[in-house]
Amino acid sequence: MGNNIVTENPNSIEVKDVVFSYDISDEESDKAPRYALDGISVSIEKGSYTAILGSNGSGKSTLAKIIDILEVPDSGKVVIFGKDAGDDNLFWDIRSNCCCVFQNPDNQIVGTIVEEDVAFGPENLGVPNPELRERVDQALKDVGLYELRHRDTSALSGGQKQKLAIAGALAMQPDILILDEATAMLDPSSRDDFLEIVEKMRAQKGLTLITITHDMTEALRCDKLVIVNKGKVAMEGAPEEIFMSDDLWQYGLKRPVKFNFAFEIAKLTDSKLTKEDLVSDETLTAALTKMLKKPGIKYPEYINHSEDKKEEREIILSVKDLSYTYDGSDVKALDNINLDIRKGEVLGIVGESGCGKTTLISHMNAIFRPVQGDVIVHTKDGDLSCKNKKDTMKIRQNVGLVFQYPEYQLFEETVFKDICYGLKKMGIPKTELSKMAYDAAMKVGLSTDEINSSPFELSGGQKRRAAMAGVLAMNPGILVLDEPASGLDPRGRQEMFAIIKSLRDSGTTIILVSHNMDEAAVNCDRICLIDGGKITAVGTPYELFQKERADELGIQIPRITRFSSLLKNELKNTWPDISFPEIEFNPEKEAQAVVRAVCRAGGADVK
Amino acid sequence: MLSKVSLGRYYPADSFLHNTDPRVKTILYAVYLVAIFIIKSPVAIGVLAGIILLMLILAKITPGILWSTVKPMLPLALFIFVINVFTIKDGNVLFSWKFITVTAYGIGRAAIMAVRLVFLIVATSILLTLTTTPLKMSDALEKLFAPLSLIRVPVHEMAMMMSIALRFIPTLAVETDKIMKAQQSRGADYDSGSFINKIKGYITVLIPLFVSSFRRADELAVAMDARCYRGGKGRTKLNPLKLTVKDVLTGIFFTLLAVLVVFID
Repeated sequence: MGNNIVTENPNSIEVKDVVFSYDISDEESDKAPRYALDGISVSIEKGSYTAILGSNGSGKSTLAKIIDILEVPDSGKVVIFGKDAGDDNLFWDIRSNCCCVFQNPDNQIVGTIVEEDVAFGPENLGVPNPELRERVDQALKDVGLYELRHRDTSALSGGQKQKLAIAGALAMQPDILILDEATAMLDPSSRDDFLEIVEKMRAQKGLTLITITHDMTEALRCDKLVIVNKGKVAMEGAPEEIFMSDDLWQYGLKRPVKFNFAFEIAKLTDSKLTKEDLVSDETLTAALTKMLKKPGIKYPEYINHSEDKKEEREIILSVKDLSYTYDGSDVKALDNINLDIRKGEVLGIVGESGCGKTTLISHMNAIFRPVQGDVIVHTKDGDLSCKNKKDTMKIRQNVGLVFQYPEYQLFEETVFKDICYGLKKMGIPKTELSKMAYDAAMKVGLSTDEINSSPFELSGGQKRRAAMAGVLAMNPGILVLDEPASGLDPRGRQEMFAIIKSLRDSGTTIILVSHNMDEAAVNCDRICLIDGGKITAVGTPYELFQKERADELGIQIPRITRFSSLLKNELKNTWPDISFPEIEFNPEKEAQAVVRAVCRAGGADVK
Repeated sequence: MLSKVSLGRYYPADSFLHNTDPRVKTILYAVYLVAIFIIKSPVAIGVLAGIILLMLILAKITPGILWSTVKPMLPLALFIFVINVFTIKDGNVLFSWKFITVTAYGIGRAAIMAVRLVFLIVATSILLTLTTTPLKMSDALEKLFAPLSLIRVPVHEMAMMMSIALRFIPTLAVETDKIMKAQQSRGADYDSGSFINKIKGYITVLIPLFVSSFRRADELAVAMDARCYRGGKGRTKLNPLKLTVKDVLTGIFFTLLAVLVVFID
């Protein structure tokens, strides 16, 4: 060793022409290996904050593993702060300076007790004892888990588990911290909490922070973005440069909502945004105000998309005085819930992890039988009570329930057989099976090839669709979806919501469980907020996200509304009489609404 | 549901027995195992019950916790009792009807059998599972069996595997529950039908459970790799096992008590 030809920059992570394949290379095999990384080169500076973005399966997680030498490249070179990762003598040295926090909190905790888990890393490094104890205590204090150090790790919440993972990393005193979709399974408030801790640690300890994420607004916090596509770097640069590009969609990405909004205003006012405008909220609102002041703006036509009055629709499912307490717990998981669901609507059930959302939906098709109160399903053949054991099968046929990460529950040899599983259980005659299964697969957009292949060969997004088809096959009048888009890339999410919309348009009533306010606001007709097992409010997004109402309820306003109100305040300085009667949650539609308001206020071409 | 299984769970507390060296507890456990299976006389059983009560107090285990660990095993204890009552035919006949004969001796023996089982569970819980975290437990086994590594038994690896297995019991219990719920909502019924059908029903649960266990194992391996795990060599310990005079005295004291019990018997 030691005959490094390239003298590398000691202040950066250098990945050069790295090729890597998970397939075991086999001379005899006629299949060409699929490359997870296909000649990737990237350079990340010491102390910087970089986001690696890309679609599911683009190779971004593999890149992280290469940097932590968890995988060894087939060819190419990796140099970490001047140390060659190919040098066996430097192997442990490099790896101990780089720590990863992964997506699933349950699969990275080794210890059963909080402090034992934090100690695992430094123990492996052979850190001797008074120092080891200090490191563990300090790391636990840094993330705010010190009080819980003797707790059982399985008793922690998802957010606490991820903080524990951070503590485990900090105790190793690394120079580099990699977050591999570490916030994907957290609700918004735990997510903010988590990022705050990580960013504070970065500032305090001068960490080089690399985050892999599907959340574009989260990516805005970084200095630099690297977009990976098919194992290569497709683009890299500062966020304001990257988000100027029109090519994001082809990499499975989207602009953050506020930029979507801004670009729509630019389009409507026939202006151009520059990358300098995207740097901060101030520069962006200033640029947009300037655009809106321009004379000659065309009045954007108002397209009436709100259909017939939902209030007049019949009630299809009603939850009555429902309470539930888990065995051995003193706290009510559900506390006197009353909720009517109307035919054909999309109802969002929104709340933080552990608020009782899953317990509530588990009652809706009698997975949990109501102990106190009742759930009534109104069908063509009369009313069915979830209390009544005899009606269980009929209820489950009428109310389809898709739990979170349904793809983990696939088990048959082919997708087709898996879809048929429920149909067979429900006693559907063989002659109809095939048609119903194919219909369901069509609804979620699976191809014939995919239907006949093993579910384990499909990509993550397709697997989820296959699992959904298994529930849809029974043609339920009501479909309950628990976080249907979690873990998908922005394009995947949008496609999932398109599927949901098409199901709704074909007459299915949808109950959507989510902790994402942005998506709930865009996709739901009504939203039901749950906190601590109680309903705190039910209403249309328009009603709930009015500033005063939202403050009173203590809920997060969707990002688009927050940004749009910044702009609106700015516009009030120019046109004191301007009024904004419409609030939209789709960024493009909200942009049109703002332009209309400006036109009405006399900003331009008044209609 | 499944996630509430308390057998084999650790009970976090700060007590005399929690702080006793796990090696001492493991050895004591072996000693008491022998004692429990040797003794027959009611007096000895009474004394043993007294010792176990003392341990319970030293471990700060509440009656509620004790009950939740014993409760699942009671049907088995009852079953053993009934079988023994009906099969032991020696001694004074108290009651006889057709082929059933109940003798005083039989009842006594049956009671001893049942009590032994309960003692066994309680001793396991107090000395091991309730008061010792799986990691300490595996540390203790690693140390106690360390001599075996001389003949190339991978003692450290086995201890690590054991502690990870224990760590994942609650996780997999939750997962099983999820899979069953998802399949129930698609019409699966695990409770009715013939025995064969029930078995078939569980197979559909086991397949995704296995797949997900492999996935988890894979991710965990990467996570352990990332945290620089490379076997037992050069590892330090946050809470290294330290044998104090107190531990040795505790060990001697309780061993003597066990000997006393056997002697009384």
